[in-house]
Amino acid sequence: MTRLLKYLKGYTKESILGPLLKLLEATLELIVPLIIAMIVDYGIMGDGGSSYVIWMSLLLVLFGAIGLAFSVTAQYFCAKASVGFVARVRSALFGKIQTLSYTDIDRIGTSTMITRMTGDASKVQNGLNLALRLLLRSPFVVFGAMIMAFVVDPTSATSFAVVIPVLSVVVFGIMLISMPLYKRSQAATDGILLKTRENLAGARVIRAFCMENAETESFSARNDALTGIQKRVGMISSLLNPLTYVIINLAILWLMELGAIQVDSGNLTAGEVLALYNYMSQILVELIKLANLIISITRALASASRIADVLDIESTEVSGNVTDGSDSEYSVEMRGVSLTYSGAGAPSVSGIDLSVRHGETVGIIGSTGSGKTSLINLIPGFYPATEGAVLIDGTPVGDYSTEALRERIGVVPQKAVLFRGSVRDNMKLGHPDASDEDVIEALKTAQVYDVVMDKGGLDAEIEEGGQNLSGGQKQRLTIARALVGKPSILILDDSASALDYATDAALRRAIREMQGEATVFIVSQRTSSIMHADKILVLEDGEAIGMGTHGELLNTCEVYREIHESQFGGGAVNG
Amino acid sequence: MAKKMEKAKPGTLGKVLRYIGRYKLLLPLSLLFALITVALTLYIPIIIGDIIDNIGTGEIDFVYIAKQLLLAAILIGITAVANWLMSTINNRIAYQVVRDIRNDAFKKVTKLPLSYLDTHAHGDTVNRVINDADQFTEGLLLGFTQLFTGILTIIGTLFFMFYINWIVAVVVVVLTPMSLLIARFIASRTHSMFKARSETEAETTALIGEMIGNQKLVKAFAYEDDAIKRFENVNSRLQKNTLSAIFFSSLVNPTTRFINSVVYAAVAFTGALLALSTKDSAVAFTIGELSCLLAYTNQYTKPFNEISGVIAEFQNALACASRVFELIEEDAEISDEGNRVIGEAEGNVAFDNVSFSYTPEKPLIENISLSIVPGQRVAIVGPTGCGKTTLINLLMRFYDVSDGAIRVDGDDIRELTRHSLRNNYGMVLQDTWLKSGTIRENIIMGKLDATDEEIIAAAKAAHSHSFIKRLKNGYDTVIGEGGEGLSQGQKQLLCITRVMLALPPILILDEATSSIDTRTEIRIQKAFAEMMSGRTSFIVAHRLSTIKEADLILVMRDGHIVEHGRHGELIERDGFYAHLYKSRFPTEE
Repeated sequence: MTRLLKYLKGYTKESILGPLLKLLEATLELIVPLIIAMIVDYGIMGDGGSSYVIWMSLLLVLFGAIGLAFSVTAQYFCAKASVGFVARVRSALFGKIQTLSYTDIDRIGTSTMITRMTGDASKVQNGLNLALRLLLRSPFVVFGAMIMAFVVDPTSATSFAVVIPVLSVVVFGIMLISMPLYKRSQAATDGILLKTRENLAGARVIRAFCMENAETESFSARNDALTGIQKRVGMISSLLNPLTYVIINLAILWLMELGAIQVDSGNLTAGEVLALYNYMSQILVELIKLANLIISITRALASASRIADVLDIESTEVSGNVTDGSDSEYSVEMRGVSLTYSGAGAPSVSGIDLSVRHGETVGIIGSTGSGKTSLINLIPGFYPATEGAVLIDGTPVGDYSTEALRERIGVVPQKAVLFRGSVRDNMKLGHPDASDEDVIEALKTAQVYDVVMDKGGLDAEIEEGGQNLSGGQKQRLTIARALVGKPSILILDDSASALDYATDAALRRAIREMQGEATVFIVSQRTSSIMHADKILVLEDGEAIGMGTHGELLNTCEVYREIHESQFGGGAVNG
Repeated sequence: MAKKMEKAKPGTLGKVLRYIGRYKLLLPLSLLFALITVALTLYIPIIIGDIIDNIGTGEIDFVYIAKQLLLAAILIGITAVANWLMSTINNRIAYQVVRDIRNDAFKKVTKLPLSYLDTHAHGDTVNRVINDADQFTEGLLLGFTQLFTGILTIIGTLFFMFYINWIVAVVVVVLTPMSLLIARFIASRTHSMFKARSETEAETTALIGEMIGNQKLVKAFAYEDDAIKRFENVNSRLQKNTLSAIFFSSLVNPTTRFINSVVYAAVAFTGALLALSTKDSAVAFTIGELSCLLAYTNQYTKPFNEISGVIAEFQNALACASRVFELIEEDAEISDEGNRVIGEAEGNVAFDNVSFSYTPEKPLIENISLSIVPGQRVAIVGPTGCGKTTLINLLMRFYDVSDGAIRVDGDDIRELTRHSLRNNYGMVLQDTWLKSGTIRENIIMGKLDATDEEIIAAAKAAHSHSFIKRLKNGYDTVIGEGGEGLSQGQKQLLCITRVMLALPPILILDEATSSIDTRTEIRIQKAFAEMMSGRTSFIVAHRLSTIKEADLILVMRDGHIVEHGRHGELIERDGFYAHLYKSRFPTEE
């Protein structure tokens, strides 16, 4: 939490005044029993009479009104400080995440980052708001009530000194015991949730294997286990009310006994006994509030420290400042390049040498996990090579500024992701200044212009996750998105897998015919997608085991031939 | 607070009561203990007031006080026990009712027609079984404990207050509803703020999910600055909306506290004046009675403040229950009770003038007649998304044909029990599904009583034994939901092993796709080949060799079977298949 405190700056006034006003309100509440005692002792029993009663009653209302004003102002300050604080923290987090490198993103994981920004942030907000409002107030009322009792009569007040620790033990004890049980009940709920989800997703298989009854029984067993835990938690947590009730009321009885003796010996008035009684009643409510508060704060603190962990990360992103490459005959060169991901035991790509001239098309093929994506991720510098050098237009990738690299290289990732918004916004993702003509040209090259026109043109809305598009349409749109900036290097990472062969072929033809002669990298599992490439690189376990044209590889590379034949049915399997 | 207020369907309460009815012995017990708790809780301040009066007289009767203290102590003990018993019973009823409802809901899930599962979001159904049921429990518990005791407390307090002094009682009765009115006023005013807040919140979450969920994409397109700009925009709107929602709703507490202190002052004032004016009369209003009324005032306003919340909570619970009931009452698939049981079939499959469509407006399969004899291979061919699963749906009777009939060994499959029909099929889909559990549990799905030897033999035949052996605990390795921890190829090999173990007479297979590496793909091909020998098989085919060797090719396009025949015939016809073939295998010409 202390690591996040700097984001509270600017809300110093609110964070101090808020709790302070709550304390003032609590002070007023503590005075009320004394006023009642005075009404009884002077107004009724003494000679104050009705006018005294009237004035004192008005004083009670006045106290209430002042308390209301204090409280409302305090709530405003506390809400303002906690909401503002969390807005800043979220903003800082989001900004921080934008600076992270691919390696950092892998290490933290996107789902973790999302949880930090949503669930954790809102827990911190609630925790801070509650803490500002109650963390000082509740103990203040509890101990204030005891101090007031000692002021009224030290002898009778000893009962307070006994009751407060006993109550605390009971309240906190029950909460401590039931908390792990709540966790177990949550885990049991997750269990039946899993079972339900599984049965929906696997309905066909379960029914094909006639497993319905077995699944129902297994669900019912888990459900019973959950109910068992819930009942046990319920039994323990429902001890809280009766136990605290007994303690507080026995304390009141004890107070009456002590009070009676003190009144008898003339040390105490009946009104004061009444005041002591009222103080005793105030303790319980505040103590329970405090216990709940401590739970929320513990959770909020855990969330806060998780958030701080992300904010403390030193980004490993590095970038140079070169904007133009040197004159080189090669568009992309790799010299003895290896890549070992941080934390991985073995390199994902090792010892790759590759020289690609301007305008050439390179095919990369290999089985899953052979390092195809790792290899092409080195070209735009998403990951720096751990060994060797990657040069773009004769200049090392690391020397370029990030902007220069993005300007030069168009990437189509494996997973076709589009953002919610219009087609136009999506197409201009990397190039906000692109004209509609540029976008249309890219759409046409990517064989998706007609689809976009059918959907209502450039203003057509793409739903979240591109739900209103088919897999093939999404892939073609992501290809178009990469083409909008007219990159000199285009990387297609298995981006045509959902296209039928005819569309795939048309797409490749259109890319070949593009103006400006882009250097194209095509990663694919289908030999038909890369067989016309100028150069084909065959990867296995991160190493190049073949390089050449389709014709050459069929003769020289066994793996390549195997892949090709398995797809074209040249007799790999005679089933 | 700003719960989406959805109305429960009429009749929901009745259904809930029917479930509660199973525990009818517990219900009156709960009510009895509630009554005891409330009555004694209200009676104890009277005893304490009496003691204070005795102290106030100046001549303190210690024997009397001791007697009263003892009585109070006993009653306090009884109250506590009754209170605990009441809560425990309520817990028991609520949790058991929800367990029963959940069991029924799940049972329905396993009986829903596939058409329901295919057209309803799974998340929504899961929500009904888990979250709606949970919220219903919460509401039911609150309703039981707080609503009932709350009402009892209000009635009891009124009774005792009027019993002690009607004038003060009237003051309380007139003033307390004010806090309720104010709370309602604030709630109605803040409703729109909460709505605005949750809308902005949803927008923020969506943006975070989209941007951070695809952070690599954002970086690849140097979109960071724009992303930050968009985020700052929603974030500041969220800050504004959250502040007003939190602040205005937090006004309820201080305001009701203020109203309560006004009522408190009014009681003190009226009580004190009464005490003064009756000081010397025989029916004096005593200080003890005043303390008692002050204690009641606190107790009385509490349930009042809570009740509106509890009622809202209870209504929400009913709305949740009604969503769960909706699922429970959903039509199950057509019963197959009384249908014939088919033993091990020979493998004749016939389509007899079959027509089918998911929706009447879009006919898919029209008047198709096919006859497949045991051991024949049927290849299903067509571009992605052409509706190959439709055929599987019909064969397995996940869906029923609209017209005509599918026959297995001459029997209309609608006249057979589903289980006996499905036992004759072995299915390996491209979309592999494994349940969470051990490898062994997944393999024996098709044959629950399989021995270890049989399992290993099947695994060897399916080429999965070597990788299973290398897993940490071999066949007892636990895999997560959806086969987490295994590669796509390994998952598919496991699914093949599953079918290999049972080896039913008819197979439905889906050939490997691009997500599997070459080596594994070759293994899968071998395993498929092994399984298919001598069995009737339907293969969603991608490989030329499979298609060429098929006894029958069904060519599908947009859900329709557009052509069928052997490879040579179809090429000669020069239709869709021929076109597809040429574009797909250009070099083979």
